[in-house]
Amino acid sequence: MEWKSSEEPYVNTSTSHSSSSIPASESTIWADASPLLEVACRELQEGELIHGENFNLFAAMSALEIMDPKMDSGIVSRYCSVDEAIEDGAAPVPISFDKTEDIQCIIDIMDHLLACEATWHKGHSLAQTVFSCMYLLRPERTSSHALLHSYCKIIRATCKAVVSVVSDARTHEEEDLFTMSYGLPLNGDGDEKCLSLLNAVEENILRQLRACKTSSTKRRVTEDVEPLQTNLDLEEGYCKALLCRLRFRKHFFHLLTSMKRPQGRGLELARKHIAACISELNFIRKSSEFLVSHACGTCEGSKDEKTTASGRLPIGFDASVNTRISAPTPPRAIKLLSWKNAIQYFEKLLCDLDSVCSYSLNPSLDVLLRFVVQFQKAEPDLVARAHLQLLLVQDGKLYGRDPIFAVIARAAGLPDVTRDHTIQRKENVVQLGHLVINMLKILCTNSAWQRRKLGKILQDWRVIYVQLELAFRKEFEEVPSVLDYENVTMRILKNILTWVEEQTYWIAYRFLILGFELELYSPNEYCMVYWYLYIVLRKLAEKTHLKMTLSEAKQKGKKRKDSPKDLARETRIPPAVIFLQCQICLAEGLTLLLAALRNELMVLQSPNPFNSEHERFVQHFELLQKACIPDQIPYPLFMESTSHVCFSTIVMYNYFKDALKIAKELKSSFSNDPDKLAELRQLEQVAEHNSIAFSIICRVGGLDRSLKVSFEPIHHPYFATAVVKRS
Amino acid sequence: MEASKEAEDGERNAEFDASEIDYISYDGEHHLPLIMSLVDQELSEPYSIFTYRYFVYLWPQLCFLAFHGDKCVGTVVCKMGEHRNTTFRGYIAMLVVIKPYRGKGIATELVTRSINAMMESGCEEVTLEAEVTNKGALALYGRLGFIRAKRLFRYYLNGVDAFRLKLMFPQPDLHSYLPMMTNMDDSQHHRDHVSGHTEHIAAEENLKLNSVS
Repeated sequence: MEWKSSEEPYVNTSTSHSSSSIPASESTIWADASPLLEVACRELQEGELIHGENFNLFAAMSALEIMDPKMDSGIVSRYCSVDEAIEDGAAPVPISFDKTEDIQCIIDIMDHLLACEATWHKGHSLAQTVFSCMYLLRPERTSSHALLHSYCKIIRATCKAVVSVVSDARTHEEEDLFTMSYGLPLNGDGDEKCLSLLNAVEENILRQLRACKTSSTKRRVTEDVEPLQTNLDLEEGYCKALLCRLRFRKHFFHLLTSMKRPQGRGLELARKHIAACISELNFIRKSSEFLVSHACGTCEGSKDEKTTASGRLPIGFDASVNTRISAPTPPRAIKLLSWKNAIQYFEKLLCDLDSVCSYSLNPSLDVLLRFVVQFQKAEPDLVARAHLQLLLVQDGKLYGRDPIFAVIARAAGLPDVTRDHTIQRKENVVQLGHLVINMLKILCTNSAWQRRKLGKILQDWRVIYVQLELAFRKEFEEVPSVLDYENVTMRILKNILTWVEEQTYWIAYRFLILGFELELYSPNEYCMVYWYLYIVLRKLAEKTHLKMTLSEAKQKGKKRKDSPKDLARETRIPPAVIFLQCQICLAEGLTLLLAALRNELMVLQSPNPFNSEHERFVQHFELLQKACIPDQIPYPLFMESTSHVCFSTIVMYNYFKDALKIAKELKSSFSNDPDKLAELRQLEQVAEHNSIAFSIICRVGGLDRSLKVSFEPIHHPYFATAVVKRS
Repeated sequence: MEASKEAEDGERNAEFDASEIDYISYDGEHHLPLIMSLVDQELSEPYSIFTYRYFVYLWPQLCFLAFHGDKCVGTVVCKMGEHRNTTFRGYIAMLVVIKPYRGKGIATELVTRSINAMMESGCEEVTLEAEVTNKGALALYGRLGFIRAKRLFRYYLNGVDAFRLKLMFPQPDLHSYLPMMTNMDDSQHHRDHVSGHTEHIAAEENLKLNSVS
């Protein structure tokens, strides 16, 4: 069977194409392809096509089989268009002429929209989630129904605000489905004034609530208020159910606006709205009991999968209604989050946003980096991460406030004269500023993307280091007569160089440990990973110590005379460095233990037919090696340091005991730092368990072949705990 | 692309001996419906017929089918080509073994044949994507020497992350400064025997590997 036609096209040069907008040139000619197509049509069987040379996988994958429900998004599911659906009565306004029924339905719509919104945040398209609501798609239709209209308005405005934060932050590299909204009425007329209408509606319902409360206590009705719906027994419940839903939307919208204010000026206000949102969510959750008990026509299915509090199906939604507009709607049905899970999602989002807002905008980069790492531990979703990124980097400045060179100067412990020094205008230093900003943005992305990007920027940091070092040498050659501590430029460069190195190793360290979080390492690769981690940690500790010594020297230079106290401090190793030393001990201990197990018990080995450990080593650490971390040829070095390790040699020194000792001693130094203390406790547990396992394995390991050892992240996300069992 | 399906679970296992399975290289259009129906029933991503043809017309030598008697029980579909103008890379697009035949090394054999063909054609590496939840496939590729090079966030439309798995073939310059490699491979060979791996690995492949190092 011929798939590809190899026949020469018929060329009909006599055909005139003078009217064509693209004239024939020396290398091209206009030809009538109709005869070719006719021949082809006669010969082509179903499933065949004519294609050019450039027909590739993408083209093949883009082909659709018409009427295949998995592929053909144009296939008519129920309605051809929104208008057709509306004409058919799929989204009536009002939803019911029975006022009670109408309110019930509106609450269902609100709940289902919350589930849609959470599903959207979780990575599905706007067109298939929130905008599957036909009331949102035709903004003018709801104008006669103030309650529905105000709710639709604020939903559109909220979506628009969220899309804008995420697009501005550009943290969504792999999540671009999120912001695609072509063809959707995200800019409804007057949506920007959504709050005034919402406030008016809220005010009205509040009055209705008050009125029904007074009438229920048999007091005289002072106000002439028309009730929300007809069944007065249910009036209070429905008023309350609506109020918390409206108020949640109001505070959520305020929160988004406050967080967007420049230089973090709205953070305090944002926290108040977060607290209000959480409290309203609580009321929303509680309203479920009332709504379920008065719902008629409950739909089937498990209670936990329902998208409304009442458990009923909402009116006015069709997930396939947008398939013919340009916003991306994959033809397959998506599974929406349940209403319960949606509430949980928003609670988590609010909690993540609250930790962004509670950050003190500390000018120290060290503190900031630790904050971002800590923030990411909670695995915040895109919306929270985008907000953090926009807060950190605005107009090329930290928090839109601190010039990036000032941030570097502080981080590198530069002398105060630096602030106005010409060095900050040097190309390399400007470049370094860009690298810092880029790094901050990367640290706000999802950890899968983050790791890849961190691996790639390592090389940029290496290059900038080499360039700065050249500048440093040049400076030295130009002013050889001046003693180096008197040359300010040289001192600055020296400090910057040390800091750049430290930062580079910090990135390498993050790169390695994110591999654990993302489950990229299999147990038979642990030995090489801990060995590499050990190398990187040692370098990091060394550079951190050097940087701290240099900046201490600066401070000491300011004081007149050294007191004996200062001398004592000088010899003391900073707690931050000792903290790293604790990890170094763990990494080294794990490397040796794994190596001995491999060498003597042949466990955690992975012989395979196509390559060896060497190839796996090269693949895992390719990006580190490209950035010369470390400088020498690492695999032979790794083999050298691990291939002869055996129980009889490692038993002489238990590194885990050292780690344990350090962890215990360090606690007092971090008594004001709960995060560090928590991690110290984790490290302590790893050290304690591994120390015991280490002794057992070393004592009987070589003799007892039935010993089964596995390494599990029980106490710490990346320092594994050795679990010993006898089979 | 799609994850490969090979699970360790043995529900409704078919009774058969490994020697009863025939492995056949793709041999023309008559194999296409077999491949398509296997992939369609086992993998969630929908592919048009052009996607299948794209692979099997251009790289028929990388496509294999496993038969138990007349019944097609598994298939592997691959491609290879220049990646970013730097690396000649093989790619495993689809791997399927139907449920009752899983856990007997059929997928390993299918994929091993493809990888061998790629290696012979000069590929430097082989890649594929697999769902992070597909433990069976991850274990299978792990045994073949693939590493998890990247995690791809929400790679599939069902919202599940994928791992990009990568197998790098030994390169002459990589091993030249490593005198101890020959020893290591010998010992690996020995251990393979000791640990009693059931996966069928042709003896000449190990020889080939050793001769490279």
